[in-house]
Amino acid sequence: MVVNAEGIPIRTTLDNSTTVHYAGLLHQLTMKARSTVRDIDPQNDLTFLRIRSKKHEIMVAPDKEYLLIVIQNPSE
Amino acid sequence: MHCPAQPSAQLTALHSSMHCPALHCTAQCLACPVLRLYCVPAGCWIRGEGSMCDSRSVRLTESVFFNQKSCQTGEVAMAEVAVQSRSSRDAAVQTDQSAVPDVQQGACVDDSGVLAFLRRVEEVVIKELNKNVTSRAFDGFDVNWTDQNRTVLCLHTLSYPEAQDQHLQVTGVSWNATGSVVACSYGRLNDGDWSTEKSYVCTWNLDRRRLDPQRPDLVVDAPSSVMCLAFHPSQPSLIAAGLFSGETVVWDTSKPEDPLMWRTGMTDDTHTDPVYQVHWLPDAKHGNHVQLLSASTDGKILVWREERDGRLMVAEGFALVAQQIPRSAQLRKLVWGEAAVGVTSLSFSHFDPHVFVVGVEGGFSLKCSTAADTPAPCRTGGSVPLRAPAELAFSPHSGPVYSVSCSPFHRNLFLSCGTDGQVHLSSMLQTQPLISLQLSTKYLFCVRWSPVRPLVFAVASGEGDVHLFDFEKSSQKPAVSIKQAVDECPVYCLEFNTKQTQLLAAGDAAGTVKVWQLSSDFTEQRPREMNHLEQLASELTD
Repeated sequence: MVVNAEGIPIRTTLDNSTTVHYAGLLHQLTMKARSTVRDIDPQNDLTFLRIRSKKHEIMVAPDKEYLLIVIQNPSE
Repeated sequence: MHCPAQPSAQLTALHSSMHCPALHCTAQCLACPVLRLYCVPAGCWIRGEGSMCDSRSVRLTESVFFNQKSCQTGEVAMAEVAVQSRSSRDAAVQTDQSAVPDVQQGACVDDSGVLAFLRRVEEVVIKELNKNVTSRAFDGFDVNWTDQNRTVLCLHTLSYPEAQDQHLQVTGVSWNATGSVVACSYGRLNDGDWSTEKSYVCTWNLDRRRLDPQRPDLVVDAPSSVMCLAFHPSQPSLIAAGLFSGETVVWDTSKPEDPLMWRTGMTDDTHTDPVYQVHWLPDAKHGNHVQLLSASTDGKILVWREERDGRLMVAEGFALVAQQIPRSAQLRKLVWGEAAVGVTSLSFSHFDPHVFVVGVEGGFSLKCSTAADTPAPCRTGGSVPLRAPAELAFSPHSGPVYSVSCSPFHRNLFLSCGTDGQVHLSSMLQTQPLISLQLSTKYLFCVRWSPVRPLVFAVASGEGDVHLFDFEKSSQKPAVSIKQAVDECPVYCLEFNTKQTQLLAAGDAAGTVKVWQLSSDFTEQRPREMNHLEQLASELTD
């Protein structure tokens, strides 16, 4: 799904309630991850975020205005 | 802008040369008159002087940052007026649960901007996706967040001595909506007679510190044997029960003096045979509302509506008649006219609210739908026309089916068990079962899927055992067999606790309810369980 800078989903392939849930939570997490990276080294910036869980893997590609969130099932 | 910790305090701008004293933060500071300093837009509170930002507040020296002002409005003109209404009208307003906000609501979408963004990130994301598909980095890597518990142990043994003195058996157990209260119903399952013996429904709150296993928190008297029990899915104090006399009653456990809330009474509409299953059904029209559904061996499945004077009236109903059971080419052996269609168990699909599976005295399971239209021939007069819900008949057991359970993880799978000691795992797409397990030489009374692990289910047997099956470990024999009763006293009912997933309650013929704590094997989903389940479900024979 594609989320804008305020955490509002713009395009999605999942159902509404899941999308809104994921968008809100992952937007906050991405901002936190970005501030962590910049805190450690102010010249650095976040390029990609991957979260691996028992059931699937969530990938976030951040940008100035949008976020692309992809959820993938592991291959095994 | 308001101070986030003291919402009534207004932030004022400091002198323009004042910047956040924390390292790396170049924001302009604002003063909160109560807490002295707040920094925007980085949103950091400042502690001390020159230390790292963190989220705690601090008081800096008043002389440097604090600047207090006050103001007074000018003279305010007032006038007094009185108003009297001459006519009034009553109106009522009800809020419904609001729909989930639409995805594109409020977002002004700049399509070309989105397109440019997607073009930029496409390559990176596709590269990562491909890497994941071929990656072996996490093979065999498992993380344990909680302490692993290796054993199954009996946490509580609950009983009601008065009921045990009358040699009553536990016919149903149910956990309430919050998962802290377990209720059990006493009655007799092996009594064929029409009896007017009183029986009880007892509840215990397991979170209470001084839990007395011999004394229930609440005992409700029932006019005849209670055959089944179900707690309301969202209101933690309502219990519905089906009685031997064919009545269905709803009690409110938060009113110990007069718990009876609604009852069906004995009208033309009520069941003429014992009610073996009650179920709370989410209402299709009003999303939050639930209706009560009861099924009995007279072949009727009725949906009840609450009326104001404490009575339950039939809202709609279904009847299973032998001639209307759909025939299947493979089931030629049955003689349809004589097959009994008393309903002994019922389970709704978790994926499609209209589909339910019914287990019948004749031994077969039926797939039914609440959206069915064909009217059923009514033998006795009733106020509501009954419909025939059956759509598909599955291959039969060699005896009555005592329990069916639809899988909460797969839309087509369900389990059924009966007096032939077998458990059938079937798919709704075909009549032959996928797997048949011969578990016991005696009857099997109850089968339930685990609410957390897609491949686990529990079976209550007539030999006094509760068998826990795990398809991941073995599809032939149980993973764990819990001996509930010392002598061969059958276990009649069991329920998993959906909120505290390590608890399992089982009630037996000796009148005791045992609450078992399961090992962590049974409470955490494994990484590839859903795939295994899908595989099982797709092994359809042609």
